[in-house]
Order: sequence, then structure tokens, then C-alpha cells
Amino acid sequence: MTLNLKTSSVETREQRLGTIIGWDGTATQLADESAFSRGDCGGCGGKARRICELEGPFTQGSVCSEQMVECQAGNIRDAVLIQHSPIGCGAGQVIYNSIYRNGLAMRGLPVQNIRFISTNLRERDMVYGGADKLAFAIKAAVERHAPKAVFIATSCASGIIGDDVESVARAAEAEFGIPIIPLHCEGFKSKHWSTGFDATQHGILRQIVRKNPEKRQDDLINVINLWGTDVFTPMLGELGLRVNYVVDMATVEQLAQMSEARATVSFCYTLGTYLATALEQEFGVQQIKAPQPYAFAGTDAWLRELARVTGREQQAEDYIAREHARVKPLIAELRPKLKGLKGYVATGSAYSHGLIGVLREIGVEVDGSLVFHHDPVYDSEDPRQDSLGHLVETYGDVKHFTVGNRQQYQFYNLLQRVKPDFIIIRHNGLAPLAARLGIPAIPLGDEHHALGYQGMVNLGESILAALQHRKFHQDIAKRVSLPYKQSWLAEPDPFALSRGATA
Amino acid sequence: MAKKLKQIAIYGKGGIGKSTTTSNISAALAEAGYKVMQFGADPKADSTNTLRGGEYIPSVLDLLAERRRVDAYEAIFEGFGGIYCVEAGGPQPGVGCAGRGIITAVELLKQQRVFEELDLDIVIYDVLGDVVCGGFAVPVREGIAEHVFTVSSSDFMAIYAANNLFRGIERFSNSGGALLGGIIANSINTDFQREIIDDFAARTDTPIVQYVPRSLTVTQAELSGRTTIEAAPQSAQADVYRQLARRIAEHTDSKVPTPLNPTQLREWSARWADHLVAAEQAEAERSRQVA
Repeated sequence: MTLNLKTSSVETREQRLGTIIGWDGTATQLADESAFSRGDCGGCGGKARRICELEGPFTQGSVCSEQMVECQAGNIRDAVLIQHSPIGCGAGQVIYNSIYRNGLAMRGLPVQNIRFISTNLRERDMVYGGADKLAFAIKAAVERHAPKAVFIATSCASGIIGDDVESVARAAEAEFGIPIIPLHCEGFKSKHWSTGFDATQHGILRQIVRKNPEKRQDDLINVINLWGTDVFTPMLGELGLRVNYVVDMATVEQLAQMSEARATVSFCYTLGTYLATALEQEFGVQQIKAPQPYAFAGTDAWLRELARVTGREQQAEDYIAREHARVKPLIAELRPKLKGLKGYVATGSAYSHGLIGVLREIGVEVDGSLVFHHDPVYDSEDPRQDSLGHLVETYGDVKHFTVGNRQQYQFYNLLQRVKPDFIIIRHNGLAPLAARLGIPAIPLGDEHHALGYQGMVNLGESILAALQHRKFHQDIAKRVSLPYKQSWLAEPDPFALSRGATA
Repeated sequence: MAKKLKQIAIYGKGGIGKSTTTSNISAALAEAGYKVMQFGADPKADSTNTLRGGEYIPSVLDLLAERRRVDAYEAIFEGFGGIYCVEAGGPQPGVGCAGRGIITAVELLKQQRVFEELDLDIVIYDVLGDVVCGGFAVPVREGIAEHVFTVSSSDFMAIYAANNLFRGIERFSNSGGALLGGIIANSINTDFQREIIDDFAARTDTPIVQYVPRSLTVTQAELSGRTTIEAAPQSAQADVYRQLARRIAEHTDSKVPTPLNPTQLREWSARWADHLVAAEQAEAERSRQVA
């Protein structure tokens, strides 16, 4: 199935990939049910990626596709993001500003604030339409910030009234001579927020990436990431390759040159699948089809595939050998200290597949994980990218592998079932609950922390550091209680309510 | 794909005969060998009934409500002469948002490249009544339909709806939206009705594509769940529809309409109303004298 870049709004994940947000079983079962991604779908056809899904009777809290637009399109250094929405959609600006500023600082870039403008749609605009306000906001954005591009995040409100965002953007583009890019990310459109990543990338592909690149930059690799520290430059430097970090903290020009690059990689297929696949489809920029670069097996395979595509096999082999020699003694030192510990990974989907591998590699037991959604296949449809399959084949099964969109009430039972010594997270709302159960959390705000060879050492050290304050968490657990009824606290099945509702 | 798909939207006040006219145009085009899709953009989801023997088909939004993933082809049904029938569907009256329904349904078909893959010659959108909100403007926006035709009788309310539509088209015309092809003058049986609609057309500088008389043949065909083209192919009315279809198929140049503003429209209809009253009084006077 090819990606359709002709329409202004992106196809949702559930339509393209058959994404689910509720499932509970073993990792092997899930990998088997996602057979499409393993290249043996048989005769079921392109539209048949269905995994039986558990549906809960209510949702305690979630995230919106529009927020994913905020944390991608809103983090482009010389662009402005307009939120064409009621002011409430701007509630995340404070936290996204802190993440952005931290990210810039970590990357050694000039620290600046996010540049967001909300059209503040109100009752009157819902009745009469918000197009004039949007045109005004674009003008204000151009006058205030002289940006190289302006992104427009749509909202549920603008989507319901059918505001003609496209026309306003086209007119403004003609007037100001810069890309004005509508991103259709209405929260109600998709059940999973990762569609918001795709919406951003869709807009960038349609309106920023150079359509007819005059030159190729044969040593340039697009790296799809978030705010993490710069671990790719030294790593790819070993192969004589340069890094083009996208989407966060890139400039508009860095986004435009993506079509000139040799290949595209990412730290997480959940984030990078759409952009990487489309760059290959539209511009022939190869997407690296390999396991993700985590632990020895994944990193080796990933580096070798990148080396094969870019014709740098010897440099890669030398680097791999050097890194193995450097890192293995460090891990040998860590292993006894980590022996007997049990970890629980609660992160985005593909990222968790990578982290569990790292934990197993450094001798930490993992018999449970929560991922916030599951894509039975990625856009490439290439089985070499089957990150879950790679995990179970290389490191064995995970007994309690759960897909759930981060519901607090379930997270309690999930942790009770496994009783881990620590949890690894990247998202808010999970650590407080774990703390109340006496379990410390390792927040990987820097998504590159556990990546590659050094990542195994980093994560091992972080675990040891986190366990230093285990006593603190146990004290919390002794003194606080959870707001749930005894019947729920005694419930062994985290999906008991869903099964009741589904049956 | 060498051939260029022609996309047409037909608007008009509710109950004016849009679906009847549209289905007969589709049927006549299919008869003439074109590959046609009729897309009903009305929550009632009954636009294509007479192409399917009076039968309702499941709508795109019915499917979306039922399943997680939708294959757009499951919402396409074959009708008379191989016409592809699609109904956008939508909520029950008084609930939800029918306009959003149209946005969602059109988007789904576009994303799944249905129009390209079926290698169609013509897609006709049959759109509900007034352009009351952004959703109903979708078929004329963003280069979906290129030509809009409005079905109107000589009733003032139908003409108001047509004029409102002209305003919508004028609004989107400078941003790649559809342009106006002309008026399909429906239920025109007397000279007087013809004068009114002709005058409105002249005031707004809009061509009349075809005069369609009111006819019992149409009613009979509808009651049997068929179009006039199918049920009474030899009738004079069928030939009227064939001529209309031919004109639409051959139509190339649409333009930006020049609607009347509210004051002009009020004055225009008031003048015609006076005219009507005077005519009626003269008629009554004549009857009295005869008696």
C-alpha cells in the first residue's frame, strides 16, 4: 500500500496499520497475531490487518493527536505553530516549552521559547466560522517572528464546523511567500495520538521537503528523533556519515533537505514510520530496514544494514568490533549488580521493544510491559522492521505484554501482577502511581539514553541510581493509599472491566 | 490514467427534485456509455434509491460507525447501467453533525484513491439543500467538484436557496473551489414560471442549462423505484433528461457567480410578488366579468 500524499489530511493509524489500543497476552502471541508484519499474511489482503481488541467501558485519561503536532511542528526552530482552536488546546504550551528549552540546551543549540499562537476560537467563531481569525493569526505570526514556515494545527472545534483552513493557508502562502501548512490533527479522528506524528510529517512532506532536489548529499542521514542528546553524530561519524536530525529542533531548511539524503533512520518506528516510508516512496531516500538500534543484536544489525545501504561495510565492522570490546567489560561489571532485579517497561510501542532487549542484555528480568498502542505493521510493510518479532526471537517471550492507552486504574493491576523493582517510563502520569506502590521510576526524558552500545551501560547505571531511592518510595507506599475500591484493588485481571464490557 | 475525471456537484433546496434530477442525469450518462459515480451527500442517504430499484444502501458513515477500519469499496454499490452508487449518510435528524459526516465520508474516499482506481469519467455529488455549514461546502471546496449546478423551481424559496449557494461558490472561487455551471430549472410548466426563473438567471448572469417540466411520468417511475430513463425510456421526459445529461457531459467552462445581495433579492422578489398579485387580480376581475 502506498502512502497517499495528495490529500490534505493524513490517513489515521488504525486505517493504515490496523492500530489497536487494548490487548493483553504474551509478546509472542501478539507478534504472531501481527503476522502481517512478519511477511506471512497469506491471503488476507492489504486491508485485513485486524487484531482482536479489548475495549474498555471508559477512559480515565489520554493524549490528543494535536499534542503530537505541538511537540513536533511546534519545535521547529524557525517556524511558528498556530493552534486553530479554543484556548484550552493551548494548555500544553507550558510543558512543551520546558521540554523544548531543555532539548535545545542538551543539543547545544540557542535556547528559545516555543512560538505558538492560538486563534482562541470562541462561541462567536463556532457560529460564524474562524477563517478570518486564522488569517489574522498567520499575519501576526509572520510579523512577529518572520518565520520560514507557519504550521496550522487544526482542532476538534475547527474540524466540526468545517472551517476552510486549506483556502486560508493557500491565500496566506501566496501573500507571504513561505510555506503555510495545515496539519489536520483533530483529536476525535483517531483513537491513538500517534496519528498526530503522522499528521505533522504528512504536512512537512507535502509542503516543505524539496520536491525536485538538484543535488544528493550522499553522506547525509536523516535521523527521526525527538529532543534527545546527540548520540548519532559520533556514532554515524564512525562511518563517515553526517546527521540530519528531524523533526524536532530542526530548521525549515533541514526539513527541506531530507529529500537529498542518502537514507533515513529513527530511534523508534512508532515515531518514524510514516516519514521514513514516504521519503523512500517519493524521493528514493532509503529507509533502513532492520531491527531498531538497541542492545547488541539490534545495534549490530542496524549498523550493518546502514553500512550496506551506504557502502561502508568495513568501517561499520571495525566500529562494531571496537564497541563490543569497549562495552562488554562494562556490562560484565554491571550484570552482577543488576542480578535478580526485575524491570517493567511502560513506554511507546516500538520503543518498548528496544528497551526490553537492553534490559535482558544486561541481565535484568522483564516479564511485563505496557505499550500505549500497537501497530501490527509499520508503513514499510517490511518484515525486517518487525521490532516485536525481533524482540521475541532474540530475547525470548514477555509473559505479560499489555497494550493499553495509559489508564491509571489498570496500571495499578499491571504492576501488581508483575511486582517489578523499578519501571522505565517516558510519559507523565505513570511514576506517581508506581511511587505509591513503592516502585521507583526511571524517566527517560532523553530518548537516546538507552540507544546503541553505550545505551546498555547508561541504562544499567540509571537503574542502579534509581534503586538508591527505593527506600524513599517504600516509605511513600506505607503512608498513602490509592483511590480505588477494595474490589478493584483485589482484581487480578487489569482488563476485567473490558472483558465485561466486550462480552 | 489519461482521461480526466469530471466532478460535478448538484445543489438546491430540499424537496426541489435534486435526487430525481441527479439520478436521471446519472442514468442518462451511463446509458450514453460513461462510467459514473453518484455520491449522495445527504444524511437521509436516499439519493441513489431510484438507481437501485428503490433500495437503500449502507452508507459510508454506517460502515465507519460499525468498524474500526473501513474499506471504502464496501460502501460502493452497483446501480442501473453499472453506476457506482455511494451514500455518505449521517446522523438521525436532531443529533450529531451531518456536515462533519460529509467531510469524513469524502475524505475517506479520497484517501483510499477510490476515484482514481475506478477510472471514472464523471462523479456527481448530490448535496443536501442549503449550504448551512462548512461541511456542506466540502464538495465545492479544495478542488473536489469543479462544476456546480443548482436545481431550482420558480418558487421564491428555491431561488433564495440557489442565491445562497451562489454566495458560497463566490466565496470559495478565489481559492480553487468549484465554479457555477448553471441552473437546472425544474418543474417549469408555464410561461410565467419560466419568466421568473429566466429573470433570476439574467440578474445573476447565470445560464439555464435545461428546463425540466413537471411530469407524472417522473412520479410514476419514482414510485416504482426507478429513474425515468429506466422506467419510461421512450418518454418525452426521458429525452429531456438525456439532453440535460449531454449538456452536462459537454460542459467545460463554469464561472464565478454574481449573486444578489439580501436587499436586491428582497426587492426582486417583492417586484415579482406585486406582478403576481396584479396578474391574479386581473384574472379574478376577468372571471367576475364573465360571470
